[in-house]
Amino acid sequence: MAARELGPGQRKFSPASVGADAALLVWFVFSLFPLVWMVLLALKTDAEQISTYFAFTPTLENFVTVLSAEGTRLTSVDFTQAILTSVIQCVGAVLVSLVIGIPAAYAAGRWQYKGSNDVMFTILSFRFAPELMVIVPLFVIYNQLGLFDTNVGMIWVLQLVTMPLIVWILRSYFQDMPAELEQAALLDGYTRRRAFVMVALPLVRPGIAAAALLAFIFAWNNYVFPLILTGSQHTPVTVAVTRFLGGGGQAYYNLTAAAALIAALPPLLVALSIQRYLVRGLSFGAVKS
Amino acid sequence: MGSLSVTGLTARYGKTVALHGIDLDLADGEFFVILGPSGAGKTTTLKSVAGLVDGARGEIRIAGRDMTGVEPYDRGVAMAFESYALYPQKTVEENLASPLRSGRHGTWTPAQQAERIKEVTTTLGIDHLLARYPRELSNGQRQRTALGRVLVRPAEVYLLDEPLSHLDAKLRAAMRAELKQLGELSGTTTLYVTHDYQEALALGDRIGVLREGRLVQVGTPAQVWTEPVDTFVARALGQPEMNLLDAAVEGGLARVGQAFAVGVPVRTHDSVRVGIRPRDLEVVDGPPPTDRLVLQGRVVLAERLGRSVELSVDVAGVSVIAVTSDHRVHEGDAVTLAVDWSRVHVFAGPDAADADAADPDAAAPGARLGAARRPANAALAGGAR
Repeated sequence: MAARELGPGQRKFSPASVGADAALLVWFVFSLFPLVWMVLLALKTDAEQISTYFAFTPTLENFVTVLSAEGTRLTSVDFTQAILTSVIQCVGAVLVSLVIGIPAAYAAGRWQYKGSNDVMFTILSFRFAPELMVIVPLFVIYNQLGLFDTNVGMIWVLQLVTMPLIVWILRSYFQDMPAELEQAALLDGYTRRRAFVMVALPLVRPGIAAAALLAFIFAWNNYVFPLILTGSQHTPVTVAVTRFLGGGGQAYYNLTAAAALIAALPPLLVALSIQRYLVRGLSFGAVKS
Repeated sequence: MGSLSVTGLTARYGKTVALHGIDLDLADGEFFVILGPSGAGKTTTLKSVAGLVDGARGEIRIAGRDMTGVEPYDRGVAMAFESYALYPQKTVEENLASPLRSGRHGTWTPAQQAERIKEVTTTLGIDHLLARYPRELSNGQRQRTALGRVLVRPAEVYLLDEPLSHLDAKLRAAMRAELKQLGELSGTTTLYVTHDYQEALALGDRIGVLREGRLVQVGTPAQVWTEPVDTFVARALGQPEMNLLDAAVEGGLARVGQAFAVGVPVRTHDSVRVGIRPRDLEVVDGPPPTDRLVLQGRVVLAERLGRSVELSVDVAGVSVIAVTSDHRVHEGDAVTLAVDWSRVHVFAGPDAADADAADPDAAAPGARLGAARRPANAALAGGAR
């Protein structure tokens, strides 16, 4: 048989590769099963919700209930309103982070000074410090300042989530861009500000898109901050979803699953639409210091 | 247009000192070439003049104006970067229009801009590429675009960082010839950086040879070529490099092994190095001339490089490189090489400083002491007869 070159993604057939594929398949099923179960649960009626049967009559009624006044009556939170609230809070948080974070990332990427790494590390530490550690003092402060259960308050606190991501990802983009481009702009007669706007900014546009959308997803998924810092007026979806589990009354697992699926839709669409940038953005933040 | 004067320019990156006090004075309209190997500080010098190096100290005056605290965009300098630094999101035309649109180099209507750009790109032979993006250009085309972005605008001083380095050999030679003719360059003070000695010799009104952050010699191309201040400069210019042969001095006579001896200036050191450019050695027929230094030896290797032949000649155990256009010479032949006495350079030996530590006037190792002379006893000069 004539020797054939393997194309990209092709592998030689061997028992080891079959074993590896089988193991991957098992892992795939194992990790995706909760999702499958959630979809099944969302399609079940109230009567069947605690059964473990795979055979049942599927219904879309749960989705209707979640989005209708009936859902609001059960949880005292309007779920459609919660989606809108989430959008306002997350978009707001990302915009604020971009306005402050892009110049910060640029400065951090271009200007190395004594202690610049410490500043960057401090910003990063906002990201990995446990939220529960700061939540109690924040709750007290928010109550006293009147920020409790407000969009402004949520946008503010979400900076802890979005800002470090945006600054760190964009810094690596700015560092990857040769400084000589801006130097050329300076010598062309442009001020530093114009050189930044004219040369640097357009070149990191893909980075800005990736960082912004990644930050949006992280903000959307945040649970602990809104759980403590919002009441019933400005509840985002993450908290609204759990309301269907009921507080002492009946727990509606099927409604919870349906609500969770709806809540997962916006970030999913966002992620799919920018998949290409997202991988690059993630690896940038992860691999490069 | 304007003069450029640099006094005591130092630059450091962190703990690394890139420049140790550079002094330069360029007259209005002068074309000055800085020649040096990579890492010598050539680019740092240019960027310091442009105001792009944070750690630069010293006085820089452009057209008589002190540049201390003056931002790069107010210095009136244009620079071509070795990395091209073309804006990737802009076309060639937009790249060239950038300095014209900044408003700092006169006001240009769109029609004037287009006309000026057409003019410059035609000169550089890239006028058919105006709508292309830098990523769609070859390196040579990119380099010419970068050069175009400089030439398109008026400036006090042009700073050109290896503007021909990435062109292929043929185009480089053609562009080198053209550069000299460009009205923009002949009329504007230009600081030009290169590692190519031919470019330096061909283009420079004057040349400054840079070594490890110090200007070791500044002079006209003829001066730098015929009177290199030390062995570093001697080696930096010329291909193949100058022959540098260790010699022991005794009574005003420097002996290169058993090969030959030359008369050296009085009051020299125990050891010197005798330098002879390969192209100054001439293959002679018949009786050896008496008014020149004569080396007799055997050809070990003859490399035929088109028009010229590069010879590696064994002169009584000393290997000497010579370049000739005489194609009759073959490997194994006995040859007679002759060189004018004025073209035989004598440099201080490597141990010069140690030997003369007490003497404040002592030449540094490798420093040029002068040209060799015919020894008093002519018979001694004859080489291995």
